[in-house]
Amino acid sequence: MEKIHQITETYFAEDRKDGVDKVTGKATFSAEHRLDNMAYAVFVCSTIAKGAIKNMLLSEAKRASGVLDIIYHLNCPAVPGFNPYAKDPNKKGYEWRGLKVFNNNQVYSNGQPIAMVIADTLERAVYAASLVKAEYVKDEFDTDFEKSKTDEKKLKKPGEYKRGDVDAYKKGEVIVEEEYTIPMETHNPMELHATIAVWDGDDKLTVYDKSQGPKGVQRDLAQNFGIDEKNVRVITEYVGGAFGSALRSWPHVPAACIAAKKLKRPVKLILTREQMFTMVGYRPHAWQKIGISANKEGKLTGITHHAVSNTSTYEDFGEGIVNVSQFLYACPNVNTNYRLLPLDVNTPTWMRGPGPATGCFALESALDELSYKLKIDPIELRLINHTDVNPVNKLPWSTKFLKECYAMGKEKIGWQNRPTVAGSLKEDGMLVGYGMAGGVFGAGRGQASAKGILRNNGTLVLQSAVSDMGPGTSTAMVKIGAQLMGIPQSKVSFELGDTDLPNGPTQGGSGSTAAIGTAITVVCDALKQSLKELAIATVAAFANLKPDALKYENGIISVAENASVNILYTDLLAQANKPEIEVVKDSARASAEAQKYAMNSFSVHFVKLHVHPVTGVIKLKQIVSTADAGKIIAENTARSQMIGGAVGGIGMALTEEVFTDNRYGRYTNANFSDYHVPVNADTPPIDVLFVDKADIIISPTGAKGIGEIALVGVAPAIANAVYNATGKRIRQLPITPDKLL
Amino acid sequence: MPTQKNNSSRRDFLKKSTAIAVLSIASPVLVKAAENDDKIAALFEQIPLRLEVNGVAHTLSVEPRVTLLDLLREQLHLMGTKKGCDHGQCGACTVHADGKRINSCLTLAVMNEGKKITTIEGLANGDKLHPMQEAFIKHDGFQCGYCTPGQIMSAVACVKEGHANSPDEVREYMSGNICRCGAYPNIVDAIMEVAPILKND
Amino acid sequence: MINFEYIRTSTTKAAIDAKAKNAAAAFIAGGTNLIDLMKKGVTAPERLIDINGLPLKEITADAKGIMIGALALNSEVAENPIILSKYPLLAMALNAGASAQLRNMATVGGNIMQRTRCSYFYDITMPCNKREPNSGCAALQGQNRMHAVFGTSEKCIAVHPSDMCVALAALDASVHISGPKGERKMLFTDFHRLPGDTPELDNNLSTGPGGQKGELITAIHIPTNAFNKSHYLKIRDRASYAFALLSVAVALEISGSSIKNARLAMGGVAHKPWRLPAVEKFLIGKEATKENFTTAANMAMETATGFGRNDFKIKMGKAAIAEALQQAAQKI
Repeated sequence: MEKIHQITETYFAEDRKDGVDKVTGKATFSAEHRLDNMAYAVFVCSTIAKGAIKNMLLSEAKRASGVLDIIYHLNCPAVPGFNPYAKDPNKKGYEWRGLKVFNNNQVYSNGQPIAMVIADTLERAVYAASLVKAEYVKDEFDTDFEKSKTDEKKLKKPGEYKRGDVDAYKKGEVIVEEEYTIPMETHNPMELHATIAVWDGDDKLTVYDKSQGPKGVQRDLAQNFGIDEKNVRVITEYVGGAFGSALRSWPHVPAACIAAKKLKRPVKLILTREQMFTMVGYRPHAWQKIGISANKEGKLTGITHHAVSNTSTYEDFGEGIVNVSQFLYACPNVNTNYRLLPLDVNTPTWMRGPGPATGCFALESALDELSYKLKIDPIELRLINHTDVNPVNKLPWSTKFLKECYAMGKEKIGWQNRPTVAGSLKEDGMLVGYGMAGGVFGAGRGQASAKGILRNNGTLVLQSAVSDMGPGTSTAMVKIGAQLMGIPQSKVSFELGDTDLPNGPTQGGSGSTAAIGTAITVVCDALKQSLKELAIATVAAFANLKPDALKYENGIISVAENASVNILYTDLLAQANKPEIEVVKDSARASAEAQKYAMNSFSVHFVKLHVHPVTGVIKLKQIVSTADAGKIIAENTARSQMIGGAVGGIGMALTEEVFTDNRYGRYTNANFSDYHVPVNADTPPIDVLFVDKADIIISPTGAKGIGEIALVGVAPAIANAVYNATGKRIRQLPITPDKLL
Repeated sequence: MPTQKNNSSRRDFLKKSTAIAVLSIASPVLVKAAENDDKIAALFEQIPLRLEVNGVAHTLSVEPRVTLLDLLREQLHLMGTKKGCDHGQCGACTVHADGKRINSCLTLAVMNEGKKITTIEGLANGDKLHPMQEAFIKHDGFQCGYCTPGQIMSAVACVKEGHANSPDEVREYMSGNICRCGAYPNIVDAIMEVAPILKND
Repeated sequence: MINFEYIRTSTTKAAIDAKAKNAAAAFIAGGTNLIDLMKKGVTAPERLIDINGLPLKEITADAKGIMIGALALNSEVAENPIILSKYPLLAMALNAGASAQLRNMATVGGNIMQRTRCSYFYDITMPCNKREPNSGCAALQGQNRMHAVFGTSEKCIAVHPSDMCVALAALDASVHISGPKGERKMLFTDFHRLPGDTPELDNNLSTGPGGQKGELITAIHIPTNAFNKSHYLKIRDRASYAFALLSVAVALEISGSSIKNARLAMGGVAHKPWRLPAVEKFLIGKEATKENFTTAANMAMETATGFGRNDFKIKMGKAAIAEALQQAAQKI
């Protein structure tokens, strides 16, 4: 880390950098790159949950018009990274951790890709794929989470934590002990996952891929196909949402590359909406049991938090569901236990707010239940148990402005109108409920690199090989760059989405702004240093001065002690006969800081809603989301992230659930008609309030992170409001109308 | 399953016809004759299609099974119209057909013979953005931008239909366009702001 | 999707003849359901007969009622001034269905002809007697949250998904049908079938007495009525753009506080729009009170039977009917 300096000025809200491209249809998403001689690949998927493919019936499909090839396990060219140990008995090779597509005849889940038809047009590929049939040897399978969640023989990987006495809550003065369940929920970004692959010879690969981390895809593909990373270029210009589903490469990514290599022509593979349910992860089904106790004054005396979530049989995916109970509130006795249940389904993955989104539903609901038993206001209960030191590692938080969140939100939602007795308030014939709940997510600063190119025409180009799935990374980076260099935002651009650019982090865990923003900060410092050195070398008036004796401000290099000796950087570049200067810099991970401080972003969400007294239909009236997300870099896009998280939380609370028919091990609502993501009419006015105080320990940008805390805590806030309105506690999401009858 | 019955014979039948089917534009007489004659009808595996997209007249030859959405995206390379579900369940593919908003994924291209199609690419006047496009930028009515062309086409129609008189009405009449980033409140703000201006036009 | 022949027709006769000649042909109008089903492989017509050129778009009213052409768009019907003033129940039901875009595509005839949204019907890897006779009904003991509680059979518990049809059933509409040998009409409530042993048949088009191959719906007629209070209540899993868990269409003629005439139909509860004649009979002559509405609601659901995951519909039905009656009665 070089010199850290805080960005203090408030940025004024300005429009998104890529706004015009997005409103005119010019933004190019992965499936939209136009290449000559493109072929279309379409997956054929398994129709059983577990077993082996006995026979593939291909003759009909082969004869269909336009079919170029059908690839499946018996004719699939070897992918070195799928079977690295074939020539490596010491097992040192890289092994692809995901489903090895077309690698063998095994079926691990329903909807798994088992063949791929490639044809000259999309329609012909789709039709021919419908003609491919498989004969199977079926195995017994289990997809039934509810039935197997307590089956000790099946559960694995206990992750345990304990401080103080185990199950202390049982001896508490006031006790809540309840179970909470969330169903499988899917990311389902609007853009379908898609990959276009094109090979140049046998060892040079270009891929247009929907990804939150182009560098990760590059690494995966290089290792899979046994070629140099520098020979793999991944382009991810625009990402149509992802929310975690594009944090890793799924089977379609290598599959498109396999097809393009075999056919020696560009191949485009787009998943269908149905395949978005069976191939690119989801938030796992989770069961939780919380026991929580307090003394009569509301001081927590014990928390026991157990959780089970599902994974697949071929990969373990776990997330920090129970962690929130360990550190969010002061409590002397806490024990947690988290286990995985492997089922014959596809692998889950991180979905917006992974871990805490699930964990906070249980913890924040349980606290609400406790507040009624204690007859203490739920905000007051949280304040009583507030802690400024993380109880797990005993470190102070780098910044924690949670109390400010409570205060702001309480006022905005009109908390004083909340009935203290559930089900007692009516308005326009409707039951009225208010609810609140907190959210949290880890903050930090990852490693990142960036390049800065300062040109003599007055423009600054910043670059990093990251992608922007929607939060507005470019906009934030432009604001940081413009601020640091003292030049107008209109002259600054941020280029991303190409692995040829300097190494950037994967966009996930709300870490982009802190990580890349720090790299941009370092780059800008280096640019200023270069300008000073250039001034000394070029301009007579600066000759013999040390760089430290110069200062840079608003594009002007001057003598620190005599501002009248100065030169504009564009003039300097012209005088030096340099069209541009360029620097590439790395910024480091916040490892040292993490030894001294606990780091988190915090949110508190407030909800007002109506429940129809006869039909039980819920109508959200208002959401107020407050956040301690550090310094807000770009207010407009930050606010949008918070609103989006709230809408995601509405889906989690009220509408979203993947249904499985456990007799067939198959999802029954893998489409946008039956899997209900919220629509406009579900969404009330949403107010967003930021504490907006910089955390310069985490990064010089002052930013912590927004994306996850925007959603974490929304679902319990809604569930708590439903209870407040009706007196009915729903512990099994989503709260559909039938549950309130 | 009905799909699988007689596939090969049916395909062979259609395939034989392909050789002679590459008639670029069939005469109205042939079209008429096809109503009564199976053999002539078979000539239409690739059938002629005339339609206007964003003011540009196109004369095409397409398979009947090609949807308007896939025609726009894969053949006319107008990628602004998005595929989000391909089943009329998300609204990302919203375009105007003769001025009405429709889901282009659930209409066959050939069903739009003679129609005027407007896509997001045809909304701005050169470099001058449509007021709805400007309002979406101003109110940040999107994040990732994928549903945005569909939202904007839908929003323009929503106002034109007279369904933008209150935020609640906009919420209801814009519910055929899913935004997974959850930009709905900003979309409502954008529409409410620009509705009076558009109505006066 | 498999390729198919596509022909355009400009007269009703040509369209009907083209269909009568080929059992595997299908009419296409809006296409919002048919194309979806073709994409999913649920159906695969060899020939599509595009009927959008037929002169069946008009909406005309006279003293006897209103005639709605089968090709009138759902959105046009919902915005029609006569419908809005004289048959507001129909407009409400239409606007409760689908999305603005789909209503701009879907026709009245197509809405009536739409097939069930049962997820087992839609998934061609699953057993479904409606899609493939005698393959079994996976919904019976499966994910049947959306399924029927009235008029079911062991072969099928699917529901008809339309909102519009629930209003038409309540409003005593009739269906005008043309076939190769002439025209016939049918009460709307007789048009759709219960599943019985032949769940593959959704309706009585081309079947039953007088039925002919190649029949086409040409119009819907709604008789003039004296209902002065009506309401369409739809309960669904999200606020818009979702099929009904269940819905209730109410049309009442109330004079002072007494009910002179009543119509009541439900959606999302049966293989066809579910009229409740016994409940209507009960209501006629009664006072428009909460007590009577509650009694009516309980009476309506007496014969309902759940299949596990849809048991809630019985309780929800009672609540929804009572509320819909109340809402209708309160209208000015």
